[in-house]
Formats: sequence, C-alpha cells, structure tokens
Amino acid sequence: MSSESPSDPPLLRVEDLYKRYGDEEVLNGVSFDMDAQDVQVLVGPSGSGKSTLLRCVNRLTEFEGGRIALDGTPTDEMDENDLRRQVGMVFQDFNLFAHLTAKRNVMLGLRRVRGHSKEEAEARALEELEQVGLGDQADSYPAELSGGQQQRVGIARALAMDPKLMLFDEPTSALDPELIGEVLGVMRDLADQGMTMLCVTHEMGFARQVATDIMFLEGGHLVEHGPPEQLFENPRHERTAQFLDRLTSLHGGDHG
Amino acid sequence: MPCPVPVPGGLSADWRYVFENACYLGDGLAVTLALTAASLVVGFAAGLPAGVAEVYGRQSDSAPVRWVGRAVRNAGVVLRGTPIVVIIMLAYFSFGISPAFLAATAALGFRSAAYQTQIFRGAIESVGAGQMEAARSVGMSKYQSIRHVVLPQALRRSVPGFQNEVTIVLKDTSIAFAIGLAELLTKSYDLFQSVGHTTAIFELILVVSAAYFVLTFAANRSLEALNEAVSVPGGERG
Repeated sequence: MSSESPSDPPLLRVEDLYKRYGDEEVLNGVSFDMDAQDVQVLVGPSGSGKSTLLRCVNRLTEFEGGRIALDGTPTDEMDENDLRRQVGMVFQDFNLFAHLTAKRNVMLGLRRVRGHSKEEAEARALEELEQVGLGDQADSYPAELSGGQQQRVGIARALAMDPKLMLFDEPTSALDPELIGEVLGVMRDLADQGMTMLCVTHEMGFARQVATDIMFLEGGHLVEHGPPEQLFENPRHERTAQFLDRLTSLHGGDHG
Repeated sequence: MPCPVPVPGGLSADWRYVFENACYLGDGLAVTLALTAASLVVGFAAGLPAGVAEVYGRQSDSAPVRWVGRAVRNAGVVLRGTPIVVIIMLAYFSFGISPAFLAATAALGFRSAAYQTQIFRGAIESVGAGQMEAARSVGMSKYQSIRHVVLPQALRRSVPGFQNEVTIVLKDTSIAFAIGLAELLTKSYDLFQSVGHTTAIFELILVVSAAYFVLTFAANRSLEALNEAVSVPGGERG
C-alpha cells in the first residue's frame, strides 16, 4: 500500500465557478465545499445567482468557468443523467408531472431511470409518500393537492432516487404562509436523518436551527460563509448583517 | 346484391331517384370514411414526430437533428401554402400514384400532417418548461422526458385542435372528386349527370351535404367525449 489519500474528498466541491448570461455575470468565482450530512443554506438578494448556482450543480445550467465535483468526480466527466440521478432537486413551483398521480410522479423515475419493476416502484413510491406524510394521497393528482402537499410529493419524488445530495430551490417561496411549516418539517426530518442538503431559502428560523453553514451570496460573489451563529451574531461584513436582519424580520418565524 | 334500402311511396321522381340509388351513394360514403380515416392516420403518424422535431430540433446540439427540424418546418410551409386540389392532382397525375385512393390518401394525409404538426407543436410548447426540467432532474434522458412527461400532456391538450382537423379532412375528402375517386361527392355527381336525371341535382347535393354534416357532428361529439375522458382530474397546472 503506497499512498492513501489523507482524507476523503468532500461530497460536493464547487471551485471558482463562473457563469454568465450574455453580458451579465451571474456567478463570479464561487467556491465552497460540502461534506456528507451538511445542510448548507444559501441566501442572498434576488438576482444574486443562488438558483443559478444550484442549477449548475446538477447541470440544468452549463457554466463557463470553474469545476464542480461530486464525491471527487468532476461533474463534467459524468453522464449528465447519472449525475442528476444522484442529485435530487426540489423546485420553487413544485413542477410535479401534471398528468400523473402523486404515486406515479414518484414511480416514473424509479421505473425509467432505475429500472424498477412496476411492483417495486409502487412499493417504494408509497414508502416515500408515507415518509412525507402523504400515504393517503397517493392516488391524488397534483391539481387536487395543496401547494404544501405538492411540494412534499416533489421531495418524495427526488428522494426515491436515493440521491447523495438534495438541492432545494426556494421550496417554500410559492406557498401560502400556513403551508410553509409542513414543508420545512419534512426538510428538518431529512436533515435529522443525515441527508446532505443545499438549500436556497429565506426561512431564517430553519436556517438558524438546521443549517450547518450559511452562505451569503451577492452579485455572484460568496460574501460570507460560516455557521449560523457566526453569520447571525458576528458577521464579518456589514452587508451580511444588514441582509440577514431584513430577512429575519420578514421570514424569521419558526414555521417548522 | 339488391339494395336493402326501401323507397318510400309518394315521392317526387327526383327524390325517388335518390332513394333508388341509396346504396350507390352508400358505397361513396364508405370510401369517404375510409379516406378520412387513412388520411388522419397518415397525418398523425407523420405530424406527431414532425411536431416534436419542430420544437426540439431547433434546440438540439446535434447538427443533423437541427437539419431535420428545419427540413420538417420547410416541408410544412410548402404543404400549407399549396391548395389541396393542386396537391391531389400532383399526387395522381404528376407523381402517378395509383390507385386514386392511394393518391388521395397521400395528398390529404401529408397536407393533414402539415397542419397536425402545428397542432402538436403548439401543444408541446404549451407544456411548461418546468415539466421538462423536473423530468431531467430525476435523471431521465431528453427522449424519456419527452415521451413520458411532455407528450402525454401535450396530446391531451391537442384534442380540441385535432377535432378541428378531423372535420376539415372529412369535408376535404370531397376534393378527390378532382381525380375521379368514387367517394361520396363523385358518386352524386355521376348520378345527376346521368341522362334524364339532371333535375335531381338539388336533392342529391342536399343529401350529400346532410351526410357530411352528420359525420362532422358525430366526429365532434366523439372527440369532445374523448377530451373529457382523458382530462386530468382537477385540471392541469403543468
């Protein structure tokens, strides 16, 4: 045995990420690591590049510069479908398959991507819906569900693929206030079970209690990155303090 | 085989002539129906993939796929910009497709394909981009995402447009008159052109029009029922 690497690679490594839309620079050299079981919350003003950053991770958006590696493998060397199988994504607008029941929403990826039999897929789908508290809504269509229920189906659909990492793109921003709690509750359970999560959210109660780290992104730069106590109590940058103050007064409530 | 349709008493000579030839007209009606069905099948079989090619061809990274998308779009422009009588005459007299039924099927079928392409293109484009993104995000390929997520929704949305197309193709089968195919209109023409029966033209045209009307009405009702049957409970908000 010659050289064994001193430590495992981080679960996710984002290195010097650059992304431009036309003349507009959306991401300007963003770098950070995530270890397994980390819950990182990404905050920042609108247009700061938060969603773009998430979409670069599962290559829904291609980027111009930098590298992203999952478990040590650069994502641009992976088959994009295989990458996405390993990285779950939850959308602001849920994006449930509108023509399929909750159960079939979860089954589709199991059948088509993971090659499960119909019976296997159905059993797994029911299990995942149970997990998010929707076992009794398995046969409902998306339009028959509330926003909070739809988002929980969206989470179940992503979890069924056994992802290594879950991306949450403002999962509660499209919800009525009284429905936010049920979605945050599911996310909190997931974090407790050790899921690695990268979340764009303005729910500061969730960030304070659940996040291992908070990242403040502005103008495509990672202005500040650290544990919640540091960012809330002792931010190094005036901008971070201002922004988090405002967010807390708007979204500080503990919905979960 | 004698025609089983009885001739009611007390009719004028012209109406009696219509009833006496009910089965002769019925044969034409059968050709009309067969031609409608065959043309719609050709139109669907070519129009659906063409609609997919138009939407996804232009976004493709692959040059041959983009080329196919462009070719499909141009073919559609030409077909939609040419009168159907011209297309059917080209098919029969110029390209020499034979028998006439096949020439008419090709002409009406490809013309319908050009219109159905637009029905499916519009329906596909109306499915929200989030549906494709969600499908790709679980690791489905682009083809799988189109096949299992976008098309099932797009097809539901294309039923009303398709309903329109069915009635147009049904009535336009009468264009096959131009190449002498023995469909409903041609048969009625033969009848009122026979010596001694030219006065029955009004009665014959009336019967033929009623037949087209009943058929389009029934087709519309059936497709409305289909639309109901395939609609997603609670509606769609994709």
